Amino acid sequence: MGRNKSDLIVFVGKRLLQLLPVVLGVIVITFFFTHVAVQNPCAVWAGAHATADQVQACILRFGLNRPLTDQFWRYLTTLLSGDWGANPRGGVPVLLSISSAFPATLELVLASLFIMTVIGIPLGVVAANGAGRWADHLVRVFYLSGWATPTYLGAVVLAIAVGPAIGLPTKGDFTTKPPFYGPTHMSVLDALWALDFPAVGDALLHLVLPASALALLNLGIATRMTRTSMLEVLPLDFVKTARMKGLSDFVVLYKHALRNSLISTVTILGITAGVLLSGTVVIETIFQWPGIGAYAYDAITGYNFPGTIAVVIVFAVAVVISNLLSDVLYGILDPRVEWR
Amino acid sequence: MVEPVLDVQDLSVEYEAGAGTFHALTGVSVRLDPGRVVGIVGETGSGKSTLAHAIPRLLPEPPARIVSGKISFRGVDVLDLPKWKLPLLRGTGIGMIFQEPINSLNPAYRIFDQVAEAVAVRKLRDAGESPTLFPAPEPHDYSKGMVVKSGEALLHPIATKLPGRRRRARREALMQDVLDYLRLVRINDPETILDLYPHELSGGMRQRIMIAMALSAKPSLLIADEPTSALDITIQAQVLTLMKELMEEVQTSILFISHDLGIIAEMADEVGVLYAGHLVEFGPVEEVFANPRHPYTKLLLRSVPAQYKDDGPLPALSGSVPSLANVPPGCPFHPRCPLMRDACKTNPGPLLEPVKGISARTHLSACYYSDEVARKA
Repeated sequence: MGRNKSDLIVFVGKRLLQLLPVVLGVIVITFFFTHVAVQNPCAVWAGAHATADQVQACILRFGLNRPLTDQFWRYLTTLLSGDWGANPRGGVPVLLSISSAFPATLELVLASLFIMTVIGIPLGVVAANGAGRWADHLVRVFYLSGWATPTYLGAVVLAIAVGPAIGLPTKGDFTTKPPFYGPTHMSVLDALWALDFPAVGDALLHLVLPASALALLNLGIATRMTRTSMLEVLPLDFVKTARMKGLSDFVVLYKHALRNSLISTVTILGITAGVLLSGTVVIETIFQWPGIGAYAYDAITGYNFPGTIAVVIVFAVAVVISNLLSDVLYGILDPRVEWR
Repeated sequence: MVEPVLDVQDLSVEYEAGAGTFHALTGVSVRLDPGRVVGIVGETGSGKSTLAHAIPRLLPEPPARIVSGKISFRGVDVLDLPKWKLPLLRGTGIGMIFQEPINSLNPAYRIFDQVAEAVAVRKLRDAGESPTLFPAPEPHDYSKGMVVKSGEALLHPIATKLPGRRRRARREALMQDVLDYLRLVRINDPETILDLYPHELSGGMRQRIMIAMALSAKPSLLIADEPTSALDITIQAQVLTLMKELMEEVQTSILFISHDLGIIAEMADEVGVLYAGHLVEFGPVEEVFANPRHPYTKLLLRSVPAQYKDDGPLPALSGSVPSLANVPPGCPFHPRCPLMRDACKTNPGPLLEPVKGISARTHLSACYYSDEVARKA
């Protein structure tokens, strides 16, 4: 028995190969949706005051008069050659926008996963340890109210009422855009890179509210999952063994019981990553976070087809990768799992 | 008179469940002297495990509730301890071996880490690094003079402070003890299993590791809750032989819980018989088995296949153990008892009195007619 490192590599490789059909699928679906749903995008692309000739020129330029399959083939071949296209309005290359917007979103999602982990999981442990008693009920009220609040409502309340009341910034990622060049496009990491510590603090403060808004909605999933699996693990003999070693309740709960409960929590968190990504569309728009969610909103409402498709590709890849990560983490947490 | 390691007096435990109140233990008293092995025998549902779990306060409360009684361990009133002090009672004070070796080791940690954790608890307490209820040198602690067969002293000088939290340093500091305790339970090349996970080992191996872990904390009292019941028969014999040998090497007091009369006869010095949460007989093991003075014990012994001499069908106890939600009034055994009188239906019987008609004051029975049991039933 035992596991090989090579098994893990094969496992990861197989899962990454699965990305190809997934990505192709989302491209097809998004392409035809956008191009069929919008009858004449050139009416928008050419501008509100464009003449009929200008609109006609636009149609010819983007090849919209040609059959849809031809248009798709042309899009796919340019995409495969590495050209993600440009926003038809204004001509900003999609790849340029995405490559700075995605890291900002990743930062937001990681921050909210962090909040979900350090608050949501201990809350689940507390609830399970006091199951049926006041601590349990209190925790349930807390996470259910977060869960039941629609994202937009919670985010708006945080942005309009809570933020100003406690003096936290509610707009963007920096108070004033700092002069340094950011290699990562994540506000906190960029500021650290530039060794500009006041900016690090500023970036962290700007991160608190949008990340909390995103986390609050999904905190309940982490808490509930942890509580449920803790309740399954706590009566098991090895928890009694740990208690009978003379270990403190804290060590018994967090080292022995939680370690085994985390296995299912981690799986759920991996799935949640997709939910978090779609949550960013609303959150980033409300908090003016320069991320891919806000970009997605602009791309869809502005008939930016290449941008829309690119966002969907990035979301699909991100969801597959986060699920893969949670599977790998699952195997690390549970030595009985074999890589298959 | 020696100070007992464990003195359980008049212990009653109930479970609150949807269907009603289950009287798991009713007025049970057990006394355990240093270095002795007390066996508790009983059928499924007689309250054996509840007793084993109640002593180190391992019962989940709720649903369990200790209604009355007193548990005194080395002079400490166990039922009086606040929740936060319970860890101090366990490990170095009371150790425990569980029934299912499959479930009793943590599946997520390597063998070394699990054994080392137990060793570290002992070392830190002995060194005064963490608080303890029971100071290390005490009369019936087997830590002094404990010697492995090879002649190698088992207790290595205690590091005054475990070197840091760093993994490697910690591993080195605890390695020798971990290896010693694994060898103590007759694991011949312990180095090879240190980095394995529990699921990579056999049931017998896991139970040996459990025993090593419990012993490495050097408890004054070891509770073995059906330690061999889940093992298959050959492994069971090996583990029992091991435990028997260890009893001679490490002078610890043991409370040995089993449903198997044969195992109790082999392992224990004294035996208590539980029936429907009541302790019905208690005494020296040879005395109780040769000369049972409670009708239940007598009938139970008679239904053991090994004692059966080919003369007709194997006698079985008629009727079944009463539900703990619905224990009969009076003597709990009266519906099945061949000696039953009208008084037994209402009078609960004595709470273990010295058996009538013999001189041994240590043989106790909960039957008013203990003298008749010898003759009839």
